[in-house]
Amino acid sequence: MARALSSMLLKGFRSMEYSRTTASASGSFLQQRMRFSSSVPNDSDTHDDFKPTNKLENSEITLKDIVEQDIKDNHVMLYMKGDPEQPRCGFSSLAVRVLSEYRVPIHSRNILEDPELKNAVKAFSMWPTFPQVFINGEFIGGSDIILNMHQNGELKEKLKTSSSE
Amino acid sequence: MGSRGANVLLTRASRIKSKLQTVLEARILEVEDVSYQHAGHAAVKDSANETHFNVKVVSGKFDGQSLVKRHRMVYDALADELESGLHALSIVAKTPKEAGFS
Repeated sequence: MARALSSMLLKGFRSMEYSRTTASASGSFLQQRMRFSSSVPNDSDTHDDFKPTNKLENSEITLKDIVEQDIKDNHVMLYMKGDPEQPRCGFSSLAVRVLSEYRVPIHSRNILEDPELKNAVKAFSMWPTFPQVFINGEFIGGSDIILNMHQNGELKEKLKTSSSE
Repeated sequence: MGSRGANVLLTRASRIKSKLQTVLEARILEVEDVSYQHAGHAAVKDSANETHFNVKVVSGKFDGQSLVKRHRMVYDALADELESGLHALSIVAKTPKEAGFS
C-alpha cells in the first residue's frame, strides 16, 4: 500500500503546461510518510506492549488527506479520467478544454490509475461521477456545470479569487 | 427483493424516468440513453450498455438551488443505478421559470 501510494503521488500528479510548479506538496508528504516506516521485526515472543506498533497505520496519510492537500495547494484541481494531454473520456476532455480557456494552471490526477483514489474523491465530494473540478478548495461540479458557468460568466468570477501559487 | 426483480425487466431509462419523476415531481422529464456514443472509452468494460444517459428535468424543486445542489438531487435519486452500472449523466436541471413556464 505504501509503495503504491508513494509511486502514485510521484507519478500521478500532473500540472498543465503554463504552470512550472512541481508537485512539491506531494514530495513533502512522501518524505513525511517514509520517516514513520517501522523496520523493527514483529517477534511473537515479545509482549504486546513492547511490540512495535504499526507506525505506518497510525501516522498513515490517507487518500482523504491527499485529496484535501490537493485542493488546498492548488487553485484549480481536476480529478479526471486520463490526463489533460490525453483525456480518456468526453466529459473529462470537455472540462479540460473549458478550463484551458482561462489560462490558469490546472493540476490534475487521473483517477483511472487508482480505484482507491477514485473512491476517496467520490466520498470526499459526495459526487458519483468524474470529472470533478475544485477551485480554491471548493467543489464546483462536473463538466456540465463547468460548461454552464463558463457560458454565463460565473467561472470567470470563481477563478478571479486566486490563492497564492 | 420482489420489487427489484420486477425492476430488472424494465430498461434503465424507464427506471431513471420513474425515480426522477417520483422524487422531483418533474414538469418535464426527458431521459435518453446515449451509451452508444461512449462505447469503447476507458472504464466501460463490456459493450456500452445502459451506461450513459442524457437527462433533462424541469422541476419546481430546483427553485433556489445551485446547479451543484440540483445535480446532487438527481444523483441521490439515482443512487442505486449509479451503483449498478450507470456510468455518467449529462444533466440539464431547470426550474419552471428558467424553462419558460409562467
